[in-house]
Amino acid sequence: MIDVLIGFYIATLITELFTTRLYRLLGWYALNSLFLGLIAIYMGAEIGDNAMIISGSITILIKFMLIPYVLKYIATKFNIPRNINPNLKVHYSTIIVPVILVFTYYLVNPIIHNMAYNANYVALSISSLFLAMLLIIEHKNIAPKIVGFLSIENALFLLAISATKGMPMLVELGIFVDLLMLIVIVNILFKHQGDF
Amino acid sequence: MLIIFIPSILLVILSFFKINRTLMAAVSSLIIVPAIYIFMHPFVNEYFLVDKLNSFVLLISSIVGVGVSLSMISLPERLNLNEEAIKRFYRFFGIFWFGLIISILANNMGIFWIGLEFATLSTVYMIKVKDSLTAHKEAWKYLTVGAIAISLVLFGIILMYASAKDVLGEDAMNFYALAKNAGKINNFLFEIGFTISVTGFFIKMGFFPMNLWLADIERASIYPVAALFSGILESAIMLGFFRLSKIEMLVNTSHLVTFSYIYAIFTLFMVSFLIYRTKDFVTTFALSGIEHMVLITIFWVSGGYFAALLHLAAHAFLKPALFLSSSMLEQKRRYSFKGALKGYSNKLVPLLISLLLLGIISIPPSPMFFSEIFGFKAMLDVAQDSDYFLVMIFAIFIIMLLLSIIFYKFITIYQEALYDGDDEPKKVYKSEIAMLLLFTISLLALILPQVFDYIEGIIK
Amino acid sequence: MIYYIIQILSIFLIAPFLVGIIKSIKMFMLYKRPISPFQPYFDFYKLLYKEVIYSKESSAVSKIAPILIISPLILVVFLLPPIFKDSFYVSFMDAFTITGLISLSTFFLMLLGVDSASAFGGLGSSREAFISALVEPAMILTIFSVSLMANSIGISKAALNLASSFPATHAASFVLAAISFFILLVAENGRIPVDNPETHLELTMVHEAMILDVSGADLALVELASGIKYAIFATLFVTLFIPFGTDLPFALAFLVFIAKLLIVSVVIALLEVNTAKLRLFKVPNLLGISIIFGFLSLITFYILGGVA
Repeated sequence: MIDVLIGFYIATLITELFTTRLYRLLGWYALNSLFLGLIAIYMGAEIGDNAMIISGSITILIKFMLIPYVLKYIATKFNIPRNINPNLKVHYSTIIVPVILVFTYYLVNPIIHNMAYNANYVALSISSLFLAMLLIIEHKNIAPKIVGFLSIENALFLLAISATKGMPMLVELGIFVDLLMLIVIVNILFKHQGDF
Repeated sequence: MLIIFIPSILLVILSFFKINRTLMAAVSSLIIVPAIYIFMHPFVNEYFLVDKLNSFVLLISSIVGVGVSLSMISLPERLNLNEEAIKRFYRFFGIFWFGLIISILANNMGIFWIGLEFATLSTVYMIKVKDSLTAHKEAWKYLTVGAIAISLVLFGIILMYASAKDVLGEDAMNFYALAKNAGKINNFLFEIGFTISVTGFFIKMGFFPMNLWLADIERASIYPVAALFSGILESAIMLGFFRLSKIEMLVNTSHLVTFSYIYAIFTLFMVSFLIYRTKDFVTTFALSGIEHMVLITIFWVSGGYFAALLHLAAHAFLKPALFLSSSMLEQKRRYSFKGALKGYSNKLVPLLISLLLLGIISIPPSPMFFSEIFGFKAMLDVAQDSDYFLVMIFAIFIIMLLLSIIFYKFITIYQEALYDGDDEPKKVYKSEIAMLLLFTISLLALILPQVFDYIEGIIK
Repeated sequence: MIYYIIQILSIFLIAPFLVGIIKSIKMFMLYKRPISPFQPYFDFYKLLYKEVIYSKESSAVSKIAPILIISPLILVVFLLPPIFKDSFYVSFMDAFTITGLISLSTFFLMLLGVDSASAFGGLGSSREAFISALVEPAMILTIFSVSLMANSIGISKAALNLASSFPATHAASFVLAAISFFILLVAENGRIPVDNPETHLELTMVHEAMILDVSGADLALVELASGIKYAIFATLFVTLFIPFGTDLPFALAFLVFIAKLLIVSVVIALLEVNTAKLRLFKVPNLLGISIIFGFLSLITFYILGGVA
């Protein structure tokens, strides 16, 4: 079951890379976070870790519902361009993405031999980290860069729940607070875009 | 415990009302009170731990904070800032300070990261206090590059946590628990995590691949922000590096030394030539900040703890003072006090500034002179103990060579400042004199024998 | 053997019906008066008796191309995976055979478009080449990934293996391959996000542009070929990615198979109604996703393989 969810998680992330419209990108990001939250809840239920179930639910609440909605609101309010063409042509990214997938798998091979559990999920979460970085690199506009950063955050969350069976509760809550802070900052930066 | 957050919260609250600039500066100077209190009364609880190291860093940072708030009193006259901008500056300064205290005092890698991220995000907006297109662009740049750097740090922290989770459980986030059980943790994973985290720190401080991004930002924003970056934020990041590298030393010292030396030589190579070529003095100062961070890093990994801490403190006082005094002396992107202070009858300010400028290139009475002497001695010790004596000596020689290029450039800057520039009398405000005096006195205090003893006793 | 023949005959017979039912559902959804789902049969019958006209500029290719378009597809129908576990099947059919034969057919279709020497034909052919160049790698990757999961390189054997033992440990790869193949099904048959089979607007048409100059019995053959191609893809999709029902008695298995084909057609019809056609230069984005999903399916097969 977790396999399927992780497969969908990575599939939505890759779809983000090919998207050329902002709202659709936000939609894929929301789905991506939904799968992440479900993975956390499922994994938490499997190993009987309540903290992980809670943080999974918070992920769904914040990253699936709140953040995409707020970003969409910001984008509408400040007339952010909705057509986001990647700098990288789709033909190249069709080649680069598989290369990243294979390359990271071999790159992290020594790491996953040292992992006590969930080694394969670790490999996938690290490649999703690189894919999210590609999302930041391939876009010139600022809005998809922010989505890319949020996707990096998602990849790190996946890494945390798979490699360490969840970080301490306080740390995870703090990371959520930081994410909200990021959204506030983004809002303010867009708001004062023309103030000079 | 909660008392240390009061000044920052007070700042945020007050920034929503009509403000009096002197009052705000006074309030924000209050941050030094809890810092001194903590310095005197260390405490430990589940997530925070105050030892000599972080109380020392907090004290230095709060002194810099006081200096910055002093200069904020008169800055609006110089740069035509409106009241709204100052309000925003103080609001985010409060949040910045809040995150910074959490980060400095944390004994938990996760909480350390949260505080650092909080401080980073709040600086994004401080960059944009100056309303200009470049400031706006640089704020976005800082947001993206800083976010990537800080995600790398989190990535490394997760791996380090994973390396020790089986042995220590939730305590694996704890710096001291990790250091105590360094023998038991999974070395390979820890080293991978350490490398990634430290690369994140280094990118954030502008090391090798990202040499110019910090310089661009400090150029585009107002001077107090540059001062905050070089004086406070970099110290907090350095503190994280200190803590992690202490653990890595127990795991595998030779890897640490090799990694840091190679990184340092690459960075110094880039930075020295960039400094040599650059015309803009703010960029020069920012790049020299990178150079000093490199020196602190290699002093620390070579075991020269005293040298590293002294250098950290001296740099934290010198660089903000220079940045803040730039607002008085800037003339067409040059730093000159011949022309700028011509009409100013008092000789005190030019004297102080020239002392500071000579201090940053380690002319003898400066604390930097002592720290570099001790630091290079520590490096030579490492070279003597290592199996690769010649390689190490060669590396040290290269570092000296690159430093001498920077030294040459700074002497040129000093001479230009002294003799070039147009006559354009400027007014010097009392708050600026107070700020300069504060920094100079703090610097002089650093070379007192008692302070030397204290710093030496921080890391046994 | 009798089951095998029944299966092949039924695929031939149902192919025009599937195209017809998509069309009638779409018309129903758009509040038009729907045509009968059996309309393609009438069209076929009508076209057979129409006069065949060749353009003056065209060569012999135009005369033989319709036969060459349909014959590889007829061959593929004989090689499709069985719908009933005891029936006869051809075992050597693998990903390369199937893509090769289908692209042979596409090749002659493009040749036919170019041969008529009209501007539209060349335009349609170049677009078709553009799309099918991206479809083929994705198709090979996807079918390979499925073959790996089923422990057999032959498609027919793979389908039976999937039906008898579903690869639950590789569910992620399986689902990704299914998504990838569904995108291919849409793209290769000229359905809406990629091509609109109903329009004759020169900016958008792909398949129609190639056959503008074809008439009479030739057109009947080409239309039948596109129907059969759709039926082939739909059969592959339902046998490989909805692999159940082959254990039932033959009559039931056959009914289940027909029902699955109908469901796929209905889904495609709903999809067509609800999406807008992509601009031609956005098509690589969609097909790129398909290629990557096929690849991802292979990767997850290896990375997540064995972890339950």
